[in-house]
Amino acid sequence: MKFLENIVHKMEPKFAKGGKLEKWHPMFESFTTLAFTPAIVTQKGAHIRDGVDLKRTMITVIMAMVPCLLFGIYNTGHWEMVAAAGDRGLDFWANGGAKFMAGLWVVLPLIVVSYGVGLTIEFIFGFLRGHSLHEGFLVSGMLIPLVMPADVPLWMVGVATAFAVIIGKEIFGGTGMNILNVALTARAFLFFAYPTSMSGDKVWMAGTESKVDGFTGSTALGDLATFMSDKPVFENLEAYTNNYSFFDSVWGMIPGSIGETSLIAILIGALILLITGVGSLRIMASFFIGGYVMGLILNAFGGNEFLDLPAHFHLAIGGFAFGAVFMATDPVTASQTATGKIIYGFLGGLIAILIRVLNPAYPEGVMLAILFMNVMAPIIDHYVVQGNIKRRLKRVKTA
Amino acid sequence: MESTLDIFIKAIFSENMIFAYFLGMCSYLAVSKTVKTAVGLGAAVIFVLLVTVPVNYLLENYLLKAGALEWINPDWGVNGASPIDLSFLSFIMFIAVVASIVQLVEMLVEKFAPSLYGALGIFLPLIAVNCSILGGALFMQDRQYSTILDATAFSLGSGIGWFIAIVAIAAIREKIRYSNVPAPLRGLGITFIITGLMGIAFMSFSGIKYGKDEVKAETVQVDDTNNTNH
Repeated sequence: MKFLENIVHKMEPKFAKGGKLEKWHPMFESFTTLAFTPAIVTQKGAHIRDGVDLKRTMITVIMAMVPCLLFGIYNTGHWEMVAAAGDRGLDFWANGGAKFMAGLWVVLPLIVVSYGVGLTIEFIFGFLRGHSLHEGFLVSGMLIPLVMPADVPLWMVGVATAFAVIIGKEIFGGTGMNILNVALTARAFLFFAYPTSMSGDKVWMAGTESKVDGFTGSTALGDLATFMSDKPVFENLEAYTNNYSFFDSVWGMIPGSIGETSLIAILIGALILLITGVGSLRIMASFFIGGYVMGLILNAFGGNEFLDLPAHFHLAIGGFAFGAVFMATDPVTASQTATGKIIYGFLGGLIAILIRVLNPAYPEGVMLAILFMNVMAPIIDHYVVQGNIKRRLKRVKTA
Repeated sequence: MESTLDIFIKAIFSENMIFAYFLGMCSYLAVSKTVKTAVGLGAAVIFVLLVTVPVNYLLENYLLKAGALEWINPDWGVNGASPIDLSFLSFIMFIAVVASIVQLVEMLVEKFAPSLYGALGIFLPLIAVNCSILGGALFMQDRQYSTILDATAFSLGSGIGWFIAIVAIAAIREKIRYSNVPAPLRGLGITFIITGLMGIAFMSFSGIKYGKDEVKAETVQVDDTNNTNH
């Protein structure tokens, strides 16, 4: 480490103002601050200082995503083999090493493309606008592969990442200024631009299309959504739970987007976020409560099997938990005020389940619900702040 | 047939005046700099839509529609001896109704609620030229709502949808006021892009079905058109 530090210090004057490589300063700064805590200290006044800067915060979030990533890789490999054999009864834990390698072969290129495209664009913007590389993309670049179906073409991931980084973030001024969650913008862009590659029952397992005839790679949610139409996949709810039990969904042994399936891996990530204080408990908890309440409301209406699905199932299947823990808590696009966070999370969960059940076109409603709440977050904050001002003014007047 | 509640909710979200039809964009872009004025204009739009659409509904059904004058003289009905169709007058009638009702509303508000009048200010007369108001009347004509209640629900929903849109973008514009937006995009440019991104978020509600029956009805319709095409 000392050796590396010496090299950096030696190089520093070249990149400083007036130096030979002045133009490359953003890139130099990005790499050095990634490796070392910057030596810049506050000159005047008393400030609370902390080693945890934006880069370290972002790396904490990435570490929280590692369980999801590892499980996602294994799960992807498992379902690829299921699709190849055309047999859903394949033992989940058998042949583990080969499954992990197969999954890695699918997931790793997605991560490389997402980081490659995103960081290149960030660098270009950094040069043109003279700011250092923005750290926010470290998290977005990992989230984007995790919310993609396993079979998505790589060029689509590249296009979506470019769209999300440029239109969703950089034109607003970069990290901290965007109004919509970057990873969700990428997913929504693909969802509306290339719907056949993002939904349906062909995309969730790598290589489904070419293998066995008559085998569908549908997800639990996709099958559930058919209860709303005339031709349900399962005869009744019992047949569904025989196929996907509640504990299958909690463990994550179901097909789906790469990172979203395992509730346990997501909860480990949530724990890391909460202990380090990076994620907001208010948003996570109220998001889950909102989803549960909407599940109960739909149960009360009843009428068909999807509406009758027990509310706790809703929390375990699909991207609900992943969205609640990693997407809704995005500190930039969520509400900023304490009360606002609770309202934001609760409505987000409510709308997510509402769209999931009532909108047959979008069984995965979590993404759109969070985007919708991103749009609404500033107005929630505005009225929370106005309410605080009003209350305090009253207190001043009465005192 | 859709229920009144469906029409109302659809008009707010999936058929939002701004994000689905891009109507009323001029005042939406111009008056969305602060939340306070946005709320004022939004409230005025809700109010004017709520009044003008039902009035235009009555005009449409008892004066303008082909055969609408049947109630005066049976000969003028669709199947009468000399049918009368005044629908070519609908644009001019609708806009006249909108303009006069806005004037009327302005006078009434000034007389009975001077504080509200002060809050709305210039926006009240400006609403006469807001495209979403005439758009509301023309959608009502196009969709042929069966009762005046449906038309009123539609107008109230459209107004609330417009209100939500302008208030939400006003809050976002207040939030990004200190953002380092590239110079060429500052002001209207970034507002257009935000509107597009908000449109993506609002698409979540498009396609919500309210029950099995409607799905069936639609598939039947598709079959019919296929047959006529062949």
